[in-house]
Amino acid sequence: MNEQVKQALIAKLTALADDELILAHRDSEWVGHGPILEEDIALANIAQDELGHATLWYGLRSTLDGSDPDRLAFLRDAAEFHNCELVELPKGDWAFTLLRQYLFDAYEALWLSAAKDSTYKPLAEVAAKILREERFHLQHTQAWVERLGLGTEESNRRMQAALDAQWGYAQQLFVPLEGEGVLVAEGIVPDLGGLKQTWLLHTTQHLQNSGLKLPLQPGYQPTSRQMHTEHLWSLLAEMQSTARWDAEAKVW
Amino acid sequence: MDTQWPRWEVFKQDTPSKPHQAVGSVHAADPFHALLTARNVFARRPQAVSMWVAPASAILSVTKEELAEGRELKPSTFDLKPSTYYVFRKTSHKRSMTFVDYVGELEAPSPEDALKLAIERFTDAPALAWWVVPASSVTKSEDSPETVESWFAPAKDKTYKQQSYYGLVGAHAGKHKRTQGDDDE
Amino acid sequence: MPGKFGKPTDPDYGERLAEFEARIARGEKIEPGDWMPEEYRRQLVRMISQHAHSEVVGMLPEGAWITRAPSLKRKMILIAKVQDEAGHGQYLYHAAETLGVTREEMLEALLSGKAKYSSIFNYPTLTWADIGTIGWLVDGAAIKNQTMLAQCSYGPYSRAMVRICAEETFHHKQGKEMVILYAKGTPKQRAMAQDAINRWWWPALMMLGPHDSDSPNTPTLVRWGIKTKTNDQVRQEFINEHAPEILEAGLTLPDPDLRYDEATGNWLHGPINWDEFWAVVGGNGPMNKERLEARRRAHAEGAWVREALAAYAARRQQTAVAV
Ligand SMILES: [Fe+2]
Ligand SMILES: [Fe+2]
Ligand SMILES: [Fe+2]
Repeated sequence: MNEQVKQALIAKLTALADDELILAHRDSEWVGHGPILEEDIALANIAQDELGHATLWYGLRSTLDGSDPDRLAFLRDAAEFHNCELVELPKGDWAFTLLRQYLFDAYEALWLSAAKDSTYKPLAEVAAKILREERFHLQHTQAWVERLGLGTEESNRRMQAALDAQWGYAQQLFVPLEGEGVLVAEGIVPDLGGLKQTWLLHTTQHLQNSGLKLPLQPGYQPTSRQMHTEHLWSLLAEMQSTARWDAEAKVW
Repeated sequence: MDTQWPRWEVFKQDTPSKPHQAVGSVHAADPFHALLTARNVFARRPQAVSMWVAPASAILSVTKEELAEGRELKPSTFDLKPSTYYVFRKTSHKRSMTFVDYVGELEAPSPEDALKLAIERFTDAPALAWWVVPASSVTKSEDSPETVESWFAPAKDKTYKQQSYYGLVGAHAGKHKRTQGDDDE
Repeated sequence: MPGKFGKPTDPDYGERLAEFEARIARGEKIEPGDWMPEEYRRQLVRMISQHAHSEVVGMLPEGAWITRAPSLKRKMILIAKVQDEAGHGQYLYHAAETLGVTREEMLEALLSGKAKYSSIFNYPTLTWADIGTIGWLVDGAAIKNQTMLAQCSYGPYSRAMVRICAEETFHHKQGKEMVILYAKGTPKQRAMAQDAINRWWWPALMMLGPHDSDSPNTPTLVRWGIKTKTNDQVRQEFINEHAPEILEAGLTLPDPDLRYDEATGNWLHGPINWDEFWAVVGGNGPMNKERLEARRRAHAEGAWVREALAAYAARRQQTAVAV
């Protein structure tokens, strides 16, 4: 692998891991506060899975540059995080969290289905492994979107509000990183442009079948992973507070 | 008035050669939601290859003591068409985390008739408790390898939930069996 | 199915009670539908629902640190552990439901403040080391109790406890691993670990319940095989296991009277501050209000979600019938 490809792959793996980590963190904020015991448990499953995916992606990066996943997660500054903005947004209500999870899972399952055929074996293997869990997530979150969309007037209103707020942000999932082109050319990662069409088709259909309307104005659509919302700094301040509290600590 | 949703009994099969076993129940709104929930609650750890759920209200449950006391199993009074029932049975007082095991299915016009048939048919072991579940009330996870891989297999990788992951932390302390502080520092 | 619950005024009560106690003595499990004394049912409902509430409220002090866990591994473990506590609450509510109480009724009792739950969860978690210490001490104490309850004569309770015990061992181990690691870590880590042990040791001893002389229910519970050991027995087992291990880790315990007694093989402890215990049980612990408030908020904010799915299910059933 030449240096250019390697650097591009490191950047991509970081972005993938950051997405999963921040999403897992938001989901984990629900633990102990869910609407019913069973769903508290269910969302904690998803949080663990996504955190596991983050760990796998950081781990893959580590094999390329020897970086320490924990340092990346707990000692890196907000400006160096390359997650998409969608996952940073505060957890909101149950509709907001489940809709975001659905939009993300739908993207992730598609991306992984394609990435499991990557020419870079280690990535193909990790993708196949993660895909197993994402198939279940998608069934689970799809079921929730349908039920809340078609449940009561209130649940429909809350889902619609969540969709109006998130639809623009979700589009960022399909904006390639600068330099991602070489990875696509080498067959290491799938082309996001192609995936976006499938994603739009599936999500649009499911959202509409669930009694929801796609926003006419998609709103703000982030285009660069160098940019973040106002929420990331405080999210990390909390997440990293213990790890940063003792600069001498070598193990936790 | 609050709703915690209806209760569904959950039957988990650990491996293809084992019967489905009653592991507990979940509160869920509808059949598919109950199945998803059962997976979320009862497949957090290995093992599972299949799960069934049935509304708790659809289950006929009778213990050995009730039968001995002559609990009447009313035969159906109407000419009902026979339908399929799943029969579950508990046979031991041994320490266990599961209740009744699946023993087989049979055709009968009513749950009571099904139980009477079951008592005649499943005689290989003494029954301490019976459950009779209408097959039509049961929702099952898909048996496809893809579903098994996606719903149940990943739990095996979550080794941090196993105590073996933590190895032997802190060897057993013998030398401190004195007043505390004696051999501090 | 709620079974037959015998009252002392029933004409056949004496005879049935003798049969019932003989079954228990033979090691048989009492199952839903079997005859049982009304008092047996009442005690079980009280114990199991309190136990379930404790698991659910117990998610809060630890759950608060999920967002601050210092490594990917610790974050993962903590989510899984707090999730397990939800699972335990779930299994236990199920066990109580087999006695004919509903989840709705039990939650109403918790949220209205009528029901009790374990005193330990009304203490605050002040530092990250509290998470390790809770795993080691609080789960350690809980396991002692739960191992005993896994032998319980009531089938559903016993099965729930067997499942819980199988899960709980990792809770204990991860906490112990953490505290031992910090005890050997940097000065800040070490100080944090010691401080956490200092704060949690006594509450952990208290959570195993009042002395036998002050727990009037115990003899009945033991006779009916609901409990097989007294509070003081369980507490002694807990201290005998944990005191030497904590000292071995290079930490101290906040009890000047603690000493090993060669004659009995027991670690003897100093007097427990039962005034503090009863204050916490009575609602005046440092976190009683916050804990209950957090449960109420989650319940209230989840109401529309529960209603939405119920409405969806009802509509689906209607269309199924109409077709
Ligand atoms: Fe993921
Ligand atoms: Fe996912
Ligand atoms: Fe627990």
